[in-house]
Amino acid sequence: MLSSQELVWLLAAVAKGDRAAFERLYAATRAKLYGVVLRILRRRDLADEVMQETYLKIWNSAGQFDPAMSSPITWMVAIARNRAIDQVRKKTEVSIDEDPAVLEIAAESPDPLARREMTEELRRLLACMGRLDEERRRLVLFAYYDGWSREQLAAKFGKPVNTVKTWLRRALMEIRECLGS
Amino acid sequence: MTDADDTDTPEMLAAEYVLGTLAGNEREKAQRLIASDPAFAALVRGWEHRIGQLHAMVTPVEPPPEIWSRIRARIEGVEPSAAIVLPHAGHAARIVAEGNVIDLRKRLGRWRQAAAGLAAIAAVLLAVVVTAVRDPELLPGPLRPKPIEVTKVVEKEVNPGRFVAVLQPNAASPAFILTVDVANRTASVRRVAGGPPPGKSYELWLVSDRFPAPRSLGIVGANDFTRAALSAYDPAVLSNATYAVSLEPAGGSPSGLPTEVLFASKLIESVPPSR
Repeated sequence: MLSSQELVWLLAAVAKGDRAAFERLYAATRAKLYGVVLRILRRRDLADEVMQETYLKIWNSAGQFDPAMSSPITWMVAIARNRAIDQVRKKTEVSIDEDPAVLEIAAESPDPLARREMTEELRRLLACMGRLDEERRRLVLFAYYDGWSREQLAAKFGKPVNTVKTWLRRALMEIRECLGS
Repeated sequence: MTDADDTDTPEMLAAEYVLGTLAGNEREKAQRLIASDPAFAALVRGWEHRIGQLHAMVTPVEPPPEIWSRIRARIEGVEPSAAIVLPHAGHAARIVAEGNVIDLRKRLGRWRQAAAGLAAIAAVLLAVVVTAVRDPELLPGPLRPKPIEVTKVVEKEVNPGRFVAVLQPNAASPAFILTVDVANRTASVRRVAGGPPPGKSYELWLVSDRFPAPRSLGIVGANDFTRAALSAYDPAVLSNATYAVSLEPAGGSPSGLPTEVLFASKLIESVPPSR
């Protein structure tokens, strides 16, 4: 992974239509984004399609990226996650219990923290996550990493949907309060 | 579908949209609001800023090479949208060009500001951490490193997910982030800012009620990133232990016990196992 500043400059070049910069941006970020969408979609064919849509969207909207508001990789991951979750919500046949084989993935690196994306924001967030009640923390983590809806979380955790909704919202408010922003 | 309640606010809709827990129809509603309501779009950006960093814990996976050739084929001849989304393209070519220049200059300004801001944050962090290590009594009370606190260990179900401990004197100034892969029995320590003081080393310790004394996991923090092998410990011990960092003479503790404990923390789950 390139540094955040290098990614900012690549996005700026992409916003001007620089295809070579776009290829470098892809090379620097593809494994992160693929890891994110594959975990949510659990099927390579769907993940492949979402990757294409995601990078087309990045190509088309790089000019809207604002480094004062977000880090480049967080902005790109948000686009990819939103595409993947939209896809899961549309395709009811993507059952969360389906196709466990796809999850036996040879990861590129066993340790994502060996990377330069470790940021002050992440450190603060992890500290705040650590303060949450354990079950609520797990709800938040499964929602974020697996893209599970309240209904799916309720089924997996054996709780009523309204309880899950209440817990999720309390957890989110606690995170906001802890981060102080 | 769930009943409406008094937490059904735009703030919570934005938060749950970003987290990903909304049903399909609620997501569509949120997306319409993002497009039509700048205040709602700002709420969404706020939540992306708050929790979006969780992606850093996701293990990267190399995609198949044909994806790039498909993307490249789809952008051939397609310019980025900045120049083509304007409504009155017919008579506005010159204005478009000028608008782009101004816009880019503004953006350049913002990038510079962002870079300067990041540098300032890094400098403050470094100062706090180094001060905490060298002269803890110079810091205001809440910033002083706390003495080691070995809480009662409760045996929990062993979980093969990824765990993390933020080893820090307080929530505002963490100094090390420890990640433990319980299944593979490996750990990595990410140093946040500043190496050890001259002539000193940081040492990582495992504290468990299974052992009468803390066990050394080795010297850490000489570089930004250190790995530690934990093959001597079973997953239950690793999940439930307290992890501590001490300041030692160069090369590590002379006594085999921590000399001056700076931070200690238990692990929290950071990425649940995929299931």
